[in-house]
Amino acid sequence: MMFDLFKRMARAPAFDAAGLGTDVVARPIAAGCTLPAGASGVAVDAAGHTRRIGAGARVTLLDGESGWCFHPGPYGCELLPFAAAPELGLGLHFVIDSHDPRMTQQRFDLFLASEGAGDLALAGLAARIEETVQRELAQGHLALPPCTTLDEWNAFRAGLNQLLYTRFGVTVDDCVPVDLRGSRDFAQELRARAVHMADAPFLGLEPAVLPAAPAPAALPPSAPAAAKPLSERQFDAAIADARALRRLFLELPCLMCRVRQAALPSGQAQFRQQQDLLRRLDLVCLAASTMPALGLAAPGQPLAAGQQQRRARHSLQAAAALDEAWALLARFELAADQDLDILFDDADRIVANLEHALGERKLAVRKEEA
Amino acid sequence: MSDSPHIAVCRSLLADGSVVAITATRRARGGRADIKCSAPGAPALAARMQEVARLARHTEARYDSRDQVVISMDRAPAPQERDWELAVVLADRAVRGLLPPQSLPALAVGWSDGWQRGRIDGHDAASVPPGAVRGGPQGLRYLGALSGQPDAGDAVSSARAWFPLHSGGINDSLCWVDVSVYPLDAADGAHAPDDDAIAAPGLDSARQHAVRQVLAGARHFDGDTAPRWRTTVRFGQDGLHGNSYELALVLADRLARGREFLPRGRIIASGASSAWHAGQVEAVEGLAPKCALIEREAAAGDRVLLPRAWEGELPPGLRDRLLARGASMACVERIGII
Repeated sequence: MMFDLFKRMARAPAFDAAGLGTDVVARPIAAGCTLPAGASGVAVDAAGHTRRIGAGARVTLLDGESGWCFHPGPYGCELLPFAAAPELGLGLHFVIDSHDPRMTQQRFDLFLASEGAGDLALAGLAARIEETVQRELAQGHLALPPCTTLDEWNAFRAGLNQLLYTRFGVTVDDCVPVDLRGSRDFAQELRARAVHMADAPFLGLEPAVLPAAPAPAALPPSAPAAAKPLSERQFDAAIADARALRRLFLELPCLMCRVRQAALPSGQAQFRQQQDLLRRLDLVCLAASTMPALGLAAPGQPLAAGQQQRRARHSLQAAAALDEAWALLARFELAADQDLDILFDDADRIVANLEHALGERKLAVRKEEA
Repeated sequence: MSDSPHIAVCRSLLADGSVVAITATRRARGGRADIKCSAPGAPALAARMQEVARLARHTEARYDSRDQVVISMDRAPAPQERDWELAVVLADRAVRGLLPPQSLPALAVGWSDGWQRGRIDGHDAASVPPGAVRGGPQGLRYLGALSGQPDAGDAVSSARAWFPLHSGGINDSLCWVDVSVYPLDAADGAHAPDDDAIAAPGLDSARQHAVRQVLAGARHFDGDTAPRWRTTVRFGQDGLHGNSYELALVLADRLARGREFLPRGRIIASGASSAWHAGQVEAVEGLAPKCALIEREAAAGDRVLLPRAWEGELPPGLRDRLLARGASMACVERIGII
């Protein structure tokens, strides 16, 4: 009896909490480990349902569940709102919400369940936040014009807070403009560009952006991405496709649920629009969950590598439309009645993009279009 | 999208000097291809047109799969000619409302090997009529430069801002000022004073001196200690009077140096200062005609900046009318963040 007890304790693997709360936001945790002080746990089952594990508890996982340990923060990072303005940044401080029993699923839990893969580093999360903010600014949904006035800044902050909560489940504590001249030198960057352009004038012509480019052979997944700069561009079709489809499968139902609550129509015409959108989203959900396997043209017939790359690209396009849909949901939650027409039009565009990308993903071989 | 035009025409030049018209129309997609191209008797050319238009769309922030754009040429250029490429790209953007109708040039020549990066590498036509857009190092180098934005991949960072030029009512127009910066070598910077590295070709010496004073003051306001940039300033028109271009000049300089938030469209600014080293913006003359001009010319995405001193005397409703068009306006008393 004593020996059994010791054996059992010895079997519990130690959890490495190094960097958690500073450089690492969340890390997978094995069953039987004890959560480190200050950190919380999330258990995710195969269907994407999540539950929180209270701080300081031992992680017990049911069959098929995987465990995550995250630290609520606070975290700080610097973003670049415009790629063309490298000396002007935003200093962002954010935290991750503690358990809220009123919500069936917190957004950060869904984020971990659908997009978590290995350690979630602060730098990686900051890069994704930056990408989201840059896209919203470029599309004009957030506005940060030259000589921003205080009113415009407050409107930007409200939109940013809602965007980051809706998309990533993080709560913005503080956000201030910062002068990045201390940390990055634009003059040096320009010199580096001049050297780069003289050496390799066509480095930008990458196969992933050219339509109908011959597909490069997928690298083995074990190849380190940093070893070759090219290997980042020649993405691994199987992994990228699986991740994008997992996101669509898990996030689309939650998104639909939120759209139903947030996009309240103000009139008969908008009511019809909303019903139509929800019906089409239903079909998109169905299409995402019945997607054929990447590598098969028909049962037992393998698909050519080039067509697999094309399919994976369309999965990524659909995932990009999903990102835009979350951003749109954030705008719906802040919108006044008179802006709803524009938002419904944008929703129409995003759903059309989703339908288009998933339709192309489904095709085994792309037909010549008229 | 419903308010954008359903047809856009942009012309280009052929090698024999004749004009080819490129017409883009837009309709609901209905399961068809996103871009359909045609040129009389030249199917290979149509395929190349489609490729050019598709590549150029990689630089757009917003993807819309609901529309089909049909692009056609009224006559087929020879297979080795490429000057029509820029006109195809501009027509494709204009018909989807990404390029305001007044920004669409009547005639454009230019070709590129890097449309997916938004670059324009050059043009072949020897003589181009005035008013046409020429692609390449001497003209339009980057698609974003149509609204004054710096190219995030070029070694020379250049940005443009517009200012209203009041010359007696009927001749009022928006004039641009273009600032290009390139990093100084360490050896140059050691002994050259800052304002010697600022060149404004084509201006008289008094005006050049004024431009140097303004930029030196505004950079001092930024806290630049050592001179870092070799700068070239160009104006869209000769023979400027007054100093109301100063705010536009300062903002273009800040954009080029990567120290200002980017507008989606153009910056249209009017204002001067006697103390740029403190970042202050002061009033200039000609409030009524300039506001009227700005109201006529502003397009979606543009950012209008006027001195704070004008705020009380602005025409009533100007801000709302600009907002309704998608442009935004602010009255500022100093430059910089907030």
